[in-house]
Amino acid sequence: VKIYIHMAAIRPRSSSFSRSTSAASNAVPGLKHGPNGTMFLSSGIPDLDKILGGGFTLGSLVMVMEDPEAPHHMLLLRNFMSQGLVHHQPLIYASPAKDPRGFLGTLPSVMVSKDDKSRAHESEKEKGLRIAWQYKKYFGEQNSDSQRDGKSEYCCDFDLRKPLERHFFTGKHIDCITLKDSADLTTFHDRCSSFLSQTPRTDGNVIGGRIAIQSLCSPQCEFSDKEWDMLSFVRSLKSLVRLSNSVAIITFPPSLVSPAFSKRLQHLADTLVSVKAIPDEDKELAKLLTGYQDMVGLLSMHKVARINTQVPAILEATTFSMKLHKRRSLTLECLNQAPVHGSSGTSYGTSGSCSSSSKTGTLDF
Amino acid sequence: MAEWICRTLRDGGLEGEHAPALIIKDTIRCPLSSFVFDHVLSQLSSFILSNKSQSKGIVLVALSRSPLYYQQFLKSKGYDVVDSPCWIKVLDCYSDPLGWKSKLVESGSILNRDPGSSITTSLCKNVRDLDNLFSSIIESGKELAGDGKGRFVVAIDSVSEMLRHTTVSSVAALLSNLRSHDQVSCLFWLLHSDLHETRATAALEYMSSMQASVEPMALPANGQIGNSMNLSLMEQNFRRGKFCVRVKRRNGRVRMMFEELCVDISGIKFAPVSSEDNVIAQSLVPKVQFNLQLSEKELNDRAKVVLPFEHQDNGKTTQIYDGRKSLNEGETEIHEKVNSSGKGEIIYFRDSDDEMPDSDEDPDDDLDI
Repeated sequence: VKIYIHMAAIRPRSSSFSRSTSAASNAVPGLKHGPNGTMFLSSGIPDLDKILGGGFTLGSLVMVMEDPEAPHHMLLLRNFMSQGLVHHQPLIYASPAKDPRGFLGTLPSVMVSKDDKSRAHESEKEKGLRIAWQYKKYFGEQNSDSQRDGKSEYCCDFDLRKPLERHFFTGKHIDCITLKDSADLTTFHDRCSSFLSQTPRTDGNVIGGRIAIQSLCSPQCEFSDKEWDMLSFVRSLKSLVRLSNSVAIITFPPSLVSPAFSKRLQHLADTLVSVKAIPDEDKELAKLLTGYQDMVGLLSMHKVARINTQVPAILEATTFSMKLHKRRSLTLECLNQAPVHGSSGTSYGTSGSCSSSSKTGTLDF
Repeated sequence: MAEWICRTLRDGGLEGEHAPALIIKDTIRCPLSSFVFDHVLSQLSSFILSNKSQSKGIVLVALSRSPLYYQQFLKSKGYDVVDSPCWIKVLDCYSDPLGWKSKLVESGSILNRDPGSSITTSLCKNVRDLDNLFSSIIESGKELAGDGKGRFVVAIDSVSEMLRHTTVSSVAALLSNLRSHDQVSCLFWLLHSDLHETRATAALEYMSSMQASVEPMALPANGQIGNSMNLSLMEQNFRRGKFCVRVKRRNGRVRMMFEELCVDISGIKFAPVSSEDNVIAQSLVPKVQFNLQLSEKELNDRAKVVLPFEHQDNGKTTQIYDGRKSLNEGETEIHEKVNSSGKGEIIYFRDSDDEMPDSDEDPDDDLDI
């Protein structure tokens, strides 16, 4: 069965109820109103914002579980930090490297708009009847066109091949801290606490602050074997963040801490994401998944922050493939199974949001 | 694959990047990693001596084998050991790692009879002080490569030995510092993974960019040692093994490669995998939704299924499936004998057996309206 959809008939679903305070009236470009009185700031990756339902909630703690064999968590951190710098949001970055400031040089810059226009143009070439295989892919295109208004965008598309302009780094609101020679986390905790007191929740003028901690539990730090210390640091940070208008993102490699502590750390997160490497030149996977060539890794959503509500977020799909569009920008896509080879013509290879098969592996289809 | 690794190490790292780091690991079941280490060392030496490499020399930290061993090894491979201070420097952490011997010599209790070896650059008397070790490595490296842009290779014979004396985090810090040092072109070390906790091994794998592990070819069945077949299998594992390499690529993918290795008097040899081993990515690939092959168990179960009444014309007594699991032959016979007296029989003729289902004719055609 093939699905024929006339593109004009598809409208992006918008509810008839709209808030009186729409996004346009929000003076601050880096923030957006969310449900239940919360506010969002962008992760820097448009697809991820969509999956999260708007972005990272202010006051939430995001944890990213790293895969020791792949640097994908760095991609997430880079986009997160770039987005903050572009919006002039204060930032603290901590890592076990000797010179964490050097990492700022790898941050991506905002994609130049003419590249975007050419991307949108391509999709409009085929007017009239289109065979919409994996039709859900096309829903997003309608929305994205309407939001091109340059610098005051909530979420920018970042070009990973171009470094961020130097003038974004010169502000006093950027702090880079190395965790390398710290015997414990107390000094760092104090730095975070003073940073977070600059953006308190009760403040009328909301800016939105960002804390990015890379590879906590990295083995070269002295405190890496003091698991209880790290755990109490994260717990304390979480409570400080909750009282402020900031978002903290922590990446850690779960295989380097004992399983019990890994579980505890995961439970502390408001939003929990894991990234995974994929094998190179794997013929089995290439047969099973479409677009395997462009994939660099897999991203799984385990938890999405829900503040001020008891209703959990139920996602359509939890595993996404990370692709670099034209090797420049990071996109996340639902996993799509490749169509069955030829003859039967059945379209059982629907998009990844279909119900999970009875034999679920580590991937959710 | 071994050649590929050696070439990758030879090419070193780009400027501003961390140097490629290889971890060679094995277990007691197939303890051939020291041969692999020697092989890598020898290959890199040949690249350096023929000026094909990014680096100008090797700094070798010898912890588990004496510098004399390396001197003899390199000599046997035909490398110029006399002129060695130009291209290789050995830090001797083997002879006196904790400084006990020198203390005894100082106090006059023993005489220092150690002839030393011509290849040794410096004697390390305190393996516990990794900061000091780091500076000695860098110092020796600078002597080899000059101060400017010249680079050198660092080889650590047995990080397992280091972990006996210091913590995992200090070893990890040492490796990380070496990797991020501008003048280090590449780095490789040896680890016996079954000597350490999994977290320690995981931490050291985390610090590496390539993992080469030596695994046994044939695992002994049932783990029983007394069996003679198992003994010969175990003996085989001391000569042959599987060489598995996992490489973390820049784009975030992991490449896995396999080879067979074989050790004999002349040294170590690598050969492509002979058998069809599809170990790749089994955990990531979910099972195909339509499995058309039946496994052994499934075939047996299928043979046991009690078919509906009309298809049981295989000579056996017809069984009526009454919801219970299949009774064995003996029971049914007894059951029948009991039942044959006077109970009703089921005579079933399937009507219209010759009528084809879904025939072309419209079945309503014979309605005469």
